[in-house]
Formats: sequence, structure tokens, C-alpha cells
Amino acid sequence: MNDFMNLILEPMQEVLLQFGTFMPNLLALLVIFVIGLALAWLCRALLVRLLKVVKFDSWSDRMGFTTLMRKGQLWSSPSQFMGTILFWGLILITLMAGLSALDIRAIDHLVEQFFIYLPRVLSAILVLTIGYVLAGFLSRAVLIAAVNSGLHYAKLIAEAVRILMSLLFLAMAMEQLQVAPDVVLAAFSILFGGIVAALAIAFGIGGIEAAKRVIESELVAKPEEEAKEDVEHI
Amino acid sequence: MTDFFQTGLVTTLHRLCKPSLERLEKELSDFSRTRPLALVLPALYSEFEGPAMPGIIQELSKVKYLKEVVVTLDRASPAEFRRVREFMAPLPTDVRIVYNNGKRITEIYETLARNGLDVGQPGKGRSAWLAYGYVLARGQSDVIALHDCDIVNYSRELLARLCYPVVNPSLDYAFCKGYYSRVSSKMHGRVTRLLVTPLVRALQQLVGPHDFLDFLDSFRYPLAGEFCMITELARVNRIPWDWGLEVGSLAEVYRNYSPRRVCQVDIAETYEHKHQALSAGDAGQGLMKMTVDICKSIFRTLASSGVVFSDALFKSLFVSYLRQAEDAIMKYEADAAINGLEFDQHEEAQQVEAFTQAIALAAQAYAESPMGTPLIPNWNRVTSAIPGILDMLKLAVDKDMSESG
Repeated sequence: MNDFMNLILEPMQEVLLQFGTFMPNLLALLVIFVIGLALAWLCRALLVRLLKVVKFDSWSDRMGFTTLMRKGQLWSSPSQFMGTILFWGLILITLMAGLSALDIRAIDHLVEQFFIYLPRVLSAILVLTIGYVLAGFLSRAVLIAAVNSGLHYAKLIAEAVRILMSLLFLAMAMEQLQVAPDVVLAAFSILFGGIVAALAIAFGIGGIEAAKRVIESELVAKPEEEAKEDVEHI
Repeated sequence: MTDFFQTGLVTTLHRLCKPSLERLEKELSDFSRTRPLALVLPALYSEFEGPAMPGIIQELSKVKYLKEVVVTLDRASPAEFRRVREFMAPLPTDVRIVYNNGKRITEIYETLARNGLDVGQPGKGRSAWLAYGYVLARGQSDVIALHDCDIVNYSRELLARLCYPVVNPSLDYAFCKGYYSRVSSKMHGRVTRLLVTPLVRALQQLVGPHDFLDFLDSFRYPLAGEFCMITELARVNRIPWDWGLEVGSLAEVYRNYSPRRVCQVDIAETYEHKHQALSAGDAGQGLMKMTVDICKSIFRTLASSGVVFSDALFKSLFVSYLRQAEDAIMKYEADAAINGLEFDQHEEAQQVEAFTQAIALAAQAYAESPMGTPLIPNWNRVTSAIPGILDMLKLAVDKDMSESG
């Protein structure tokens, strides 16, 4: 009978013992999460205020970032949006830090992987941001130059420049994130190379006559000049 | 049938004989293939529940030449916005609703405000301006027509006659204003009859020949809310957001276009819509608020063209206006008598007294702040400050429309 009771009680004691060692860790997780939540909320409020002070919203409106947000059906102000991103980013980090307090090997590994990957995410975001601003700037510069030159397809050219630049920076960001880097590199090389090759062929074929005229005029003009020079020397 | 006399600087297109609506609409259908036409309807939700709007929708459902109808809706809850969409469903044209109280359009207004673009308080001026922006953003129409949504005796002939001079490429007017008589058993249109025309003529007496005053005096109904214009004008014109909307808009048209490209057209035999209470004791509401805003708009437009307003000029203006207004009462009394209309001379005189007060208040406001309330910036300036604003506006309206479905 005692053996039978031991058979029942021992696993329960084991569970209780494990629960006793797990409880402080769970408590630590909760404390870390609550502190993290408060910090995230505070950081969001501070960031939103700071961004408002430096007129980030107005800058975003002019640079086209707000338009991009609206295209993604995000209808808050850009500073609020950045605040929300920071908030959820901090919540995620806090959650990861809290989970590591549970001292479970599988979760520890996951958390480690997360923190190794985090800098890549940040640099990808940076690359995308710089790329977006640069693509917008170059696109507008090309549009102004093309309009001033009287080109009929100014808007089309500007849009093509913007798309190509966006593709370039998107490939760079994907490479940073290590998302199928070989496939991204190959796809980008084929696509970008294809576009450049297509443009080269188009200009080449379209410019045959013009090039022919230039070369012919050069060849015809030179002997006359040489002859003229000869006469003058004599 | 009216006379065919041409007055003033702008062309007047009269209602002669009995023009065929069928012919007009057929020609408009042909012209609109090369000059697509948008109709802007500034409306409050309450107007959809009033007597006028059902009739307007019924008439518009027979119109085939419109490319798009843009309703710019104010004072409506989300449920009311959805109801308006159902109201407008019978129209064969593409109907878009700019929901001014919605969160997305509110964000558009906030975007404008944080970039230093003051678009004023809610009202017809601001709503119409945003609707022009939406028409520009869509880029589908070359001509914009606008009329109020409280016309009880609306007929689609009104729209056809209003649009014709601008849509017809042979006539090629840039701006066309509607005119009509507002008569039931008595004469209405007090602000035009007893304030604007006598005030403009008093100013002509005091200031001497002045192009803008001549231009304003050319219009038979300068406060009519019905007009049609090329979309380019919507891009370059600034408009007031207060009651000075009509006069201020005419001032901008005068500033940006030659009077030869401006006309007025007789759009209805009679015109019946809601009448404002006079509220003579309170300059902050009703007809008094309207008259003060109109006078301020006239003073500021004249000042901007170099007219110097001194105390002496204002004092003379009150007296001169009073004389002009009294003469106007006498003329309208005779007009009413021959046409068998009711005419209360005492009531008309009381109104002139109230308008004299309004002119004094406007003069005081002008003296205290000559720059006054700024006009809503034109769309060229807005797109220069925020290059993506038209895209944002289009996205906001399109999303509102798709969500309500």
C-alpha cells in the first residue's frame, strides 16, 4: 500500500518541487514584463514628444513618408507611428528578456538567436529608410531635370528611377536580414542587369542612325581640315 | 422671358425663347467627351433629410454627361455617412463622398495645419475647397460645377445651363456664375438687393472708377452659390472659408482671369431655398454674420488693390450706402407693385438699418485688423508644401468609400 502511495505522491512531489523552483522565475518574468511595459510606455511618450518638437511630422509630410504610411492604410501621425513601433519593439525585447529568466534551455536558445538577429533588423530598417529618402530625392531631381529639358515622359522616367532605387535598397535590406540571400542576389542581378541591358540595347538600336551620322560627319570633315592645314603651311 | 441687354464687364447669357433641355444635354454629352465634368455638392447630413435633396438626387439620376459627382459631407456620423452613400446610389455617375468628419479626412486637415496651412473653420468654403482638391487628385475632370443642396425647386436644366458656357469649347469661358430671381409671393435675396448692390454703388461713388467694383457690379446675383469653372481655376484660386466665400471667390477670379473669360447665366426662372434669420441684435450669427463677413471681404479686396480706407471714407460710406439702399427700396417697391408681389416697406427699411450696422461692424473689424482672416491657400501652394497631399486625400476618400460598402 505504501509503495502504491509513493508511486502517486513522488511524481506530485517532483512536480511541486519543480513548480517551486519555476515560480521565482515566473515572478521574475512578470516583474521584468511590468517594468518593461512601463518603460516602453514612457519611452513612447518621450519619443513622440521629441519628434513633435523637432517637427518630424512636418518633415515626413514633405519627404513622402506620410504618403507611404497612408498607402499602407496607417492613418495616425508619423510621430505616433514611430512611437508605436518603439513601444512594440521594446515590448518584444522585454518579453525576450523576461522569457530568458524562465531558465528553459529551448527558450534561452530562441532568445539568444533573437538578440543575435536584432542588429540585422535594425540595420535593415536603417537601409530601407535611407533608401526611401534617397529614392524620393533622386526621383524628384530627375523629374525636375526631365521637365526642364522638355522630355515628354518625365514622370515615367522619375517613377522608373524611384522603382529601381527602391529595388536596390530592398535587395540590400533583404541581404542584411539574410532572407534567402543567394536567391535575392541572383534575382536582383538578373532583374537589374536585365533592365540595364534592355536600356543599352534600346539606346543602341535607336541610336544607330545618329551614331552613323556623327561618325560620317567626323570622317568627312577631317580630310578637308587636314588639306586646309597643308595649304596654309606651304 | 427676360431682356437681352448686356451689362458691365462680364458676358450675360440670358434665357431667351424656351431653350430645349434635350438639345443642351445632347451637346453637353458630346462636349464632355473632351472636357469631362465633375459636379461638387457641398452638403450637410441634415439636407439629405430635408425636402430638397431627394428632388436633387432624382433629377441628377437623369443626367448622363457627368464624369463624377463629389459630395463633400459635413456634420455627419459614420452611420449617416453610410446612409448618404445609399441615398446617392441611384445616380448613374461615379459618386465619391468626402467625409469631412471622418478620421482620415480629419488627419488630412491635421496634416495641413502642422505644415502651417490654415484652412479655417468647418463650412461650405472649406468643404468645397477640399472637394476641388479631390477632383484634382483624381485628375479625371477638366471642369468643376458646384451648386447648393438646399434648392427646393431643383431642375436638371439648372445644371445644364450652368455648365454649358464652360464645357462648350467654342465659348471657352473659364468661370460661369449662375443667376436667377428669388421670388415667391414676395421678393427674397435681401443681402444682394439691399446690401451688396447698394454698397458696391456707394463705393463706386466714393472711390471713383474701379475695375473690381465694376466687375462686381456686373453680376446680377453676386451671392449666388452656383458656379462652374475650369479645374485650373480650382488650382490657382484661394477662397475664403467664411461667409465672404462668394465675393472673395469672385475677387480671386477677377485677379487670375480676364473678365472676357467670365460670364453669368440665367439658370432658373425661380429659385427657392432656405432663408436665413436676420438676427439683427447678434453680429455673430445668422444674416448679420453673413453681411459682416461679406463687407469685410469687399473692404479687404479693395484695400489690396490700393484703396485707402480712412475714418472719413467710412463715415461717408454709411451715408452714401443708406441713400443707395433707400433708392433700392423705392425701386423694388415699384417692381413688386407691377408684378403683384407682397412688399413690406417697413421690414425692408429695418433690414437696411441692420445692414448699416453690419457695415459699421465690418469697418471696425477692418480698422482693427486690415489683414483679417487669411484665405484658404490655393492647391498649388498646398502641393508645393506637401507634395503628397493629393495622393493622401485620394487615398482617404477612396478608403472611406470602400469601407462604407
